[in-house]
Amino acid sequence: MSTIVIGLSLGMLLFLLAAGLTLIFGMLGVINFAHGAIYMLGAYVSYETGRRTGSFLMGVLAATIFTALVGAVIEKLTLRPLYERPHFYQLILTFGLILILSDVVRFIWGPGYQEVAIPPLWNGTVNMLGSTIPMYRLFVIGFGALVSVGLYLVLEKSTFGMLVRAASSDAEMVRILGLPVGSIRMAVFAIGCGLSGLAGAIAAPLFPIELGMATNTIIDCFIVVILGGLGNIRGAIAASMLIGMVRALGYVYLPGWVDIMTFVLLIGTLLTRPQGLFYRATRTA
Amino acid sequence: MDNVAKWFTKGLVVAAAATLGLVSNGYAQGKPEKFKIGGVLSLSGPYGLLGEDMRRGVQIAVEERGSKVLGVPIEITWEDDETKPQPAVQKATKLISEGSHMIFGALSSASTLAVMNLTKQRKVPHLVTISADDKITVPGGSRYTFRTSNTLGMENRMALAYMQERKLKKIYVVTADYQATRDGYEWIKQQAGPSGIQIVGEDFPPLGNRDYSSIVDKIAKSDADGVLLMLTGSDVVTLLKQAGQVNLGKSKLLFGPVAADETMAAAVGPASLGVNTGLRYDHTIDNPANRKFVEAYRKKFGIFPSMTAGEAYDGMAWWLDTVEKTDSWDKEKWVDAFAASVRENSVEGKKTMRACDHQALQPGFWGEVVQGNPPAPSLTMKITKVFPEEKLFAACKN
Repeated sequence: MSTIVIGLSLGMLLFLLAAGLTLIFGMLGVINFAHGAIYMLGAYVSYETGRRTGSFLMGVLAATIFTALVGAVIEKLTLRPLYERPHFYQLILTFGLILILSDVVRFIWGPGYQEVAIPPLWNGTVNMLGSTIPMYRLFVIGFGALVSVGLYLVLEKSTFGMLVRAASSDAEMVRILGLPVGSIRMAVFAIGCGLSGLAGAIAAPLFPIELGMATNTIIDCFIVVILGGLGNIRGAIAASMLIGMVRALGYVYLPGWVDIMTFVLLIGTLLTRPQGLFYRATRTA
Repeated sequence: MDNVAKWFTKGLVVAAAATLGLVSNGYAQGKPEKFKIGGVLSLSGPYGLLGEDMRRGVQIAVEERGSKVLGVPIEITWEDDETKPQPAVQKATKLISEGSHMIFGALSSASTLAVMNLTKQRKVPHLVTISADDKITVPGGSRYTFRTSNTLGMENRMALAYMQERKLKKIYVVTADYQATRDGYEWIKQQAGPSGIQIVGEDFPPLGNRDYSSIVDKIAKSDADGVLLMLTGSDVVTLLKQAGQVNLGKSKLLFGPVAADETMAAAVGPASLGVNTGLRYDHTIDNPANRKFVEAYRKKFGIFPSMTAGEAYDGMAWWLDTVEKTDSWDKEKWVDAFAASVRENSVEGKKTMRACDHQALQPGFWGEVVQGNPPAPSLTMKITKVFPEEKLFAACKN
């Protein structure tokens, strides 16, 4: 039982981490290497807000809003002039942003670890079928599910989602219709960064908050994005769950092979279904 | 004959000029304007934080002597090896080519071993103050490398003694998938059986692992009465944080050779209370040298020195004092002098450099994370046992 819960929580955490990256890549075609740095920034902002206000919820809100604002500024000032250029311009830019954001964080908070405690409401354990499950893990599963449903509704069922998808598939047509493509793109990038910051805040009680967060999560996120299909939110959810379960079960039955299994899955996908395990062909005119 | 005399005279003049040239050249080499220290540390990666503290410790050691040695200013150049051996060698090569008189570092044992090969080849003195891999100081190893800090071997001996003292019967072991820790675990495994200790589970998560919940769950379900943590830095912090979520420390003793210090305890939070660990340096060690260092460190940085800061200070202060005593710019003389030196007033008590392997013999400290009172941090270390050096070091064997 606990293995399944752990697998689900690992998967949901992965989804929260990768959702912003998937959204930005899917809708804007931008490979945001700075995703991990925004995630780290979110964790630090949540730590600082929580320290000052004593409220975990305030920390989560502040991290989400602040990183969304940072994302908007980054899009407006640096990314917008590069949309029409080859992809490597964006790669270099977002790689540079990792260095800048890491130095800003180091300057403000120093190189040390910071700690965010689990909020009292979720600080405990429950016994499920003989297994002791941390309540915070259950919270992560529930919260991740909420975020995934919310994201699905916004992108698939709302007018804003329709505009975003339209701007993603034919920006020029949307512009001719008199709609502000620049603002839509900025909003998408801001939401993607806000999701990264949110993931940082939710993950903060589980991990030490440190500068290394900027780089040590990005590989996991890219694995999710590749397995799920580039820019496919539903695919990202399924891929996150798949990796979470592979890891949880792997640690129980084949502990020496956990990373190897993950990468075999990745390489197998790239060789056999490079468009992603959960890619669905769309009809085009 | 005249011609012979002329040629002889000319030859003498040329020889004299050449000699003078050589002497002046040697003099120029012998009296540099600065004493250059090349520091290769982890300033990013899993051990990034520890590297920053080492830098601070060295800074105090340099500043307390007026930032001078052999009558010239000390210049330190720091390079980040990102906790990886390849960048460590690249950065050390760069520092040596820029004229470093010695190399300080690295932090991870893998990086240090890589740098050690380079300094041996280039005949540059190399000071190690934290890497614990036993292979760094072996008889017949590098003439140029010295370690003033603990070996993993001595920490493993302390961990084994702790298991025996607490009469643990069954342990679960989590070992970072890293050569030095795997070697240490192999030694523990060999000793555990004859000591009546059964290993009921083992895991080897990769260095920099991000989620230990599955491992914690396995430990919780095992019948182990103790958990040996053969990992450190952000790895042990993450594990202890996640172990705290299921109150693992309440049912099993958590301990390890380097499982905690104040920096790591602060990052873990209250879940670190009760964790037992080997300590390389701790600011609570009570002797005049340490009191002086702690005061200077707190004055400069406003905090207590960490384990890595204290070790870095201790090693560098010892090295610079030894260099000063040689009154020479000959690196070989520094090496000979350091190999035969004794540090009576080390911040950790007496340390003796062993000439056969360049390992400093020293006492070992074992401690526990406890609640602290101001001005100490809220989670602080309490030294619970001091091991004399003869209990920790095997005889030097070729």
